[in-house]
Amino acid sequence: MNRAEEALKRKPKRWVMNLIFFVAMIVAIVFSFSGSKINWSRFRSIGHSLRVMLAGFADLQWDFFFGTGIFQFKEGVVYLTLVTLAIAFIGTFIGAVLAIPFGFLASQNIVGKHVARIGEAILVIIRVFPEIILALILVKGFGMNALTGVLTIGLHSIGMLGKLFAEAIDNMDKSPLEALDAVGANIWQKIRYGVIPQVAADISSITLYRLDINVRSATVLGIIGAGGLGASLILAAESWSWNILGTILLAIVVMVLVVDVISSYLRGKLV
Amino acid sequence: MTKYTLTNGKTVTKPFNKIWIIVGSVVLLLFLFSRLIPYDASFIKLGELRIIIVKLFTPKGNRTWNDYFSYIFTSLIEPLKETLNMSFAGTLLGSLMAVPLAVLSAKNIVKLPIIYIPARTIMNLFRTIPAMILALIAVFFVGTGILSGIIAITLFTFGIMSKMLYEVIETIDMSPVEALESTGAKKVESLRYAVMPQVLPVFISYLIYIFEINVRSSTILGYVGAGGIGTVIKDNILYNYDRVGASIILMFVVILVVQLISSLVRSKLQ
Repeated sequence: MNRAEEALKRKPKRWVMNLIFFVAMIVAIVFSFSGSKINWSRFRSIGHSLRVMLAGFADLQWDFFFGTGIFQFKEGVVYLTLVTLAIAFIGTFIGAVLAIPFGFLASQNIVGKHVARIGEAILVIIRVFPEIILALILVKGFGMNALTGVLTIGLHSIGMLGKLFAEAIDNMDKSPLEALDAVGANIWQKIRYGVIPQVAADISSITLYRLDINVRSATVLGIIGAGGLGASLILAAESWSWNILGTILLAIVVMVLVVDVISSYLRGKLV
Repeated sequence: MTKYTLTNGKTVTKPFNKIWIIVGSVVLLLFLFSRLIPYDASFIKLGELRIIIVKLFTPKGNRTWNDYFSYIFTSLIEPLKETLNMSFAGTLLGSLMAVPLAVLSAKNIVKLPIIYIPARTIMNLFRTIPAMILALIAVFFVGTGILSGIIAITLFTFGIMSKMLYEVIETIDMSPVEALESTGAKKVESLRYAVMPQVLPVFISYLIYIFEINVRSSTILGYVGAGGIGTVIKDNILYNYDRVGASIILMFVVILVVQLISSLVRSKLQ
């Protein structure tokens, strides 16, 4: 036996641990399924359901899509898609503006360790509060319209944006600030010439990323009446009108892809 | 453009700052989009907002505080288990399904555009559809209940995980792969011994992160019939605000705990 073979023999036997790990995973998955009352009989009709769905998707309602014919323009998918985009865009803008003070508040560089902890805690609370529930509450105060969607997205975005802004500010190079101090700059001049040039690119990039997420959530929030595509979507889904659902889905996929491409292009330019 | 004359007699021009183009387009977009948002002062009923918050977080009618909190520990435990079960099963299944697709999408592993372009198309298609809509479709196929939730979360995780994972695979250090291939290792062997050790810690960290996202989004999945806490919220939203409030408190605590554990484990992994 040569030394290479000896070394190979002494190799720790990891397969036992791996096996235990995989068995545990499988047991966990099976357990997750078993607790539920699953209606297995529905599986027999899957082929039929699939045919119904595809037939609906093949029969897209173009009048409904463009808001022509029997539809008002304002009932059309194109208009509702624009509203959804508007909700996401304005919501993200509001969120980003509100997140800037929170970002400073949660940044150890600016306010010190202890205050930053409090700032972080506030941001965690905002982030953790489910968006849909926030929308359910705000709907009562602001009515079933796009304004609720804008406010929900604006408020909810603060959580993630504030945290990432704080990280961007913390990662900043401090030497420009010292240089500005040395030439006698005041606090506003320090922010204008020392902080903003360093964090602007990061903050814009983070905000664009959040816009991407918010376009999706603006769609979803509509199902509880926060404006945009969601309301038509849930109506179509409750009656299983696949042709209408497919029409809306097409708009969502196109919208999300376009925003995704634009946002990653712009982010690529920023970094 | 401002021109400056320096002491040595040369003139320099201050370049046009591109920031004004960006600011201008953001303002323009804000203006155009704001015309699509209906606004009327009569929409705003802040009094209603106060009433709903009080209704959510105080016991209804003749129920007591004791009743309010005991509801959490009795009736909500089963839906909570459902929510966590479906997030767990969906995250795990979706992530495992994502592994082959991520490998096929990585340009540095599969060098053929005929393979990685379709793979990326599939990935993007799943990624663009919000989880809620996947749940709606799943409900059509398998009926309401946790299974449609599992399917929705699996597909959603599949989309997001394959995207995140292929980006990691594309940035790995290729020298171990080349070293193995020079010794005559097969593709599968080089994947197992050169790619996997580099990707696995990141994969596990993403798995936990996506689990966290899924627990959060499972609230809304229940709203369209996919079981769990969301269903409780939907069933009670018209008449029993205190039950909804109790569910919100429970969900909040659970998400907070999941988030804390997740960031703890992820910071250990890095």
